[in-house]
Amino acid sequence: MVPNRIQVALGEGVVANAPHIVLSSGLGSCVAVILYDAQRGIGGLAHIMLPAQLRNAECGMWNEQSATCTEPGRSVRIPKSTFQCADTAIAALLERLRSRGAVRRDIVAKMVGGARMFSCYENPDTGIGKQNVVSVKRILRRERIALIGEDTGGHHGRSVEFHLDSGRVIVMAIGREEREI
Amino acid sequence: MNNQEMLSEEQVDFLREMMNIGAGNAATALGQMLRCQVNMEIPLAHVLPVPKVFSVLGDPSLPVACVRMGMVGDVVGELFFIVPAGQRADLTHLAERAMPGPTKKAPDLDLSVLTEIGNILVGVYLTAIHDFCQLHIYHTVPTIAIDMIQSLLDESIVALSPHVRALILIENEFIVEERHIRTFLLLIPAVQSVRTLVDSVEGARMAYGSE
Repeated sequence: MVPNRIQVALGEGVVANAPHIVLSSGLGSCVAVILYDAQRGIGGLAHIMLPAQLRNAECGMWNEQSATCTEPGRSVRIPKSTFQCADTAIAALLERLRSRGAVRRDIVAKMVGGARMFSCYENPDTGIGKQNVVSVKRILRRERIALIGEDTGGHHGRSVEFHLDSGRVIVMAIGREEREI
Repeated sequence: MNNQEMLSEEQVDFLREMMNIGAGNAATALGQMLRCQVNMEIPLAHVLPVPKVFSVLGDPSLPVACVRMGMVGDVVGELFFIVPAGQRADLTHLAERAMPGPTKKAPDLDLSVLTEIGNILVGVYLTAIHDFCQLHIYHTVPTIAIDMIQSLLDESIVALSPHVRALILIENEFIVEERHIRTFLLLIPAVQSVRTLVDSVEGARMAYGSE
């Protein structure tokens, strides 16, 4: 079978089977969350933009105050789409993996992205990238899913290739060596 | 901007007229900086859906240089001056040639040159908007980064306006010694400023006529 290369755009998510390859490019503050059941060759990737839906107080680093206090004019209207926010995206990936036959205890996670592209004047901890990373980790802990690889933070953009036959995740960045996580 | 708030075709035309006035001043300012004759094509103003903005700027996997500034004042948001992959070398070459000898080899010179060009362009365009629309908009200190366009813009799009459907992209083409150099200016108003911006553009369009 010839593997398809499935592109995942900003704020979207995909679940696929081996031997396909799922790609997502141009990750800045966004995070690609990858869930994979190696036993069954089923996996998913979500290109998330935000740490959480605002209404979900439990994942509440992302709130109106923190989003507006350091950078005037930034607002916090939260999109409704499932794959745009870490909490709803991970829940949706898990549900779709389960319906394809993945077994919860065999699912592991990797994540890529969460950079602060323009670094000069801002505290890195207030950036959405950092908040995305923290939120994804918190949700994975709560869901008892092991995070077995990550390439996050820094000040550079990333693209990612997820090979469903092996579970390999290749991270590409301009001017840097490819990295496998 | 969502569908109801998007600029109409007439308003985009008017915006382009304002930018054209600014472009004359930009060409003069750039000519002084580069120490040669700089001409500018009439700028194009596009209102584009977000994914289209990325594709207009060329292959999304190639690096672009991007100067980011905050907008403060009557309209809040962010501004980006974008130089696509193929154009950067041309622009910095011209700038380096205009520099006096010893500074030629300064590290990061091309970054500061691009930052300054972005500074000049944004300044003249904001002045044009002020003169026509009576909007006082100031920009904050510029910062530059070079990377894939989507990675550079995603945080701003998410933070300013996650419901955004369309962005205002102004395309500038300089002509320097028969070389054509295309650059872009992207305006991302914060969600609470979109109404102010659209209303002011419409007010100015009515006041100055749409001939």
